[in-house]
Amino acid sequence: MSEEALPEDDRARAAEYVLGLMSKDEAAAFAERVQRDADLATLVARWQEDFATMADETVEAVQPPVRVRRKIEARLFDETKTPRWLIPGITGLLAGVLALVLLFVPVGTGVLPPVDPVYHADLAGEDGTIILAAGYDDTTGELYVIPSLAPQEGTAHELWLIEGDNPPVSLGLLPETDPARLLLSPDVAQSLEGGVLAVSVEPPTGSPTGAPTGPVIASGEIVTL
Amino acid sequence: MATREDIETWIARCALGDRRAFQNLYDNTSAKLFGIALRVLKDRAEAEDALQEIFVKIWHGSKKYTAGKASPMTWLITIARNHSIDRLRARRDDHDGDDKIAAMADASPGAEARVVAMGEARRIEECFDTLEEDRASAVRAAYLDGETYADLAERFNVPLNTMRTWLRRSLIKLRECLEP
Repeated sequence: MSEEALPEDDRARAAEYVLGLMSKDEAAAFAERVQRDADLATLVARWQEDFATMADETVEAVQPPVRVRRKIEARLFDETKTPRWLIPGITGLLAGVLALVLLFVPVGTGVLPPVDPVYHADLAGEDGTIILAAGYDDTTGELYVIPSLAPQEGTAHELWLIEGDNPPVSLGLLPETDPARLLLSPDVAQSLEGGVLAVSVEPPTGSPTGAPTGPVIASGEIVTL
Repeated sequence: MATREDIETWIARCALGDRRAFQNLYDNTSAKLFGIALRVLKDRAEAEDALQEIFVKIWHGSKKYTAGKASPMTWLITIARNHSIDRLRARRDDHDGDDKIAAMADASPGAEARVVAMGEARRIEECFDTLEEDRASAVRAAYLDGETYADLAERFNVPLNTMRTWLRRSLIKLRECLEP
């Protein structure tokens, strides 16, 4: 058969690839072509989308027994993880940290969140609504945030790290609602463990005093993963 | 009913290690994904094991999911379906060592799929309906029952090459209907 010679046949070949109708060798060769050929990759993605949509319509949902969820959670979360690094006493370091100018870099959509987050925090308002989710990746030293509440006109949201009884340390002004990342200095990164993140309402250029001046609208404990 | 945005947000937050987001994702999608595993594997105990693996893959794979590319349900369903088919074929391989069918393609190719609009599902159904009934059911069987060309040829009682030609023509017809 000479279907390889017919370009329109890629439509069918891409579907066969998605369906798993190719032999191992054929599929490996096709996968290599997909890597190099963006149009072919698009064709594969469309078939995946269309077949998945068909399956979503065709297949009835069936409630799985509760034990499945328990087993999954036991597998994923029950292991007691040793912290990645131990935290030395850092009292006194935070004052120096205050002088740092920290800027969040908006990352837009489509940028990958941390590969292996070690800390996570959900910042909720008084009514329990989550206003910000944050994750820290110690391989890149970046804090990744997803804000879900834009500041009101003429104000900005500033993110603070509170560690024990120390004064809050500004981590910078948050973007409106786009995910963003911020490179933390090692000192700040070390004080994440056991700390609290909080969001306050500030003037558009940030707190003029270096401490929160407006109402704190959300806070959340930093959880070690 | 969870929206596309809800599901995207939960997946993004799973990538941040957010367990509550994972629970929301599980509560809102596990019944559909269990349905798919059951349909493919046709065995409840095995589908339960598969569902565990599927959600472990989702949790670990959430970092690779990029919002705005594949729709989140497509991403989830592809993981569920491909894992179930891999299991089905591994089970068959135990009985039949010379099965040469490839493992499933990755669930998240880099390419952009168009956003599935409301009504898209209906259009896909309509396009399946333009195929002769047994051909439409052969395409569905390949996706949902993991049938190979050999299985399909046997079921429709035609030579293997005839089955191949049939199915390829049907797939091209389907693509032309979906993207005129």
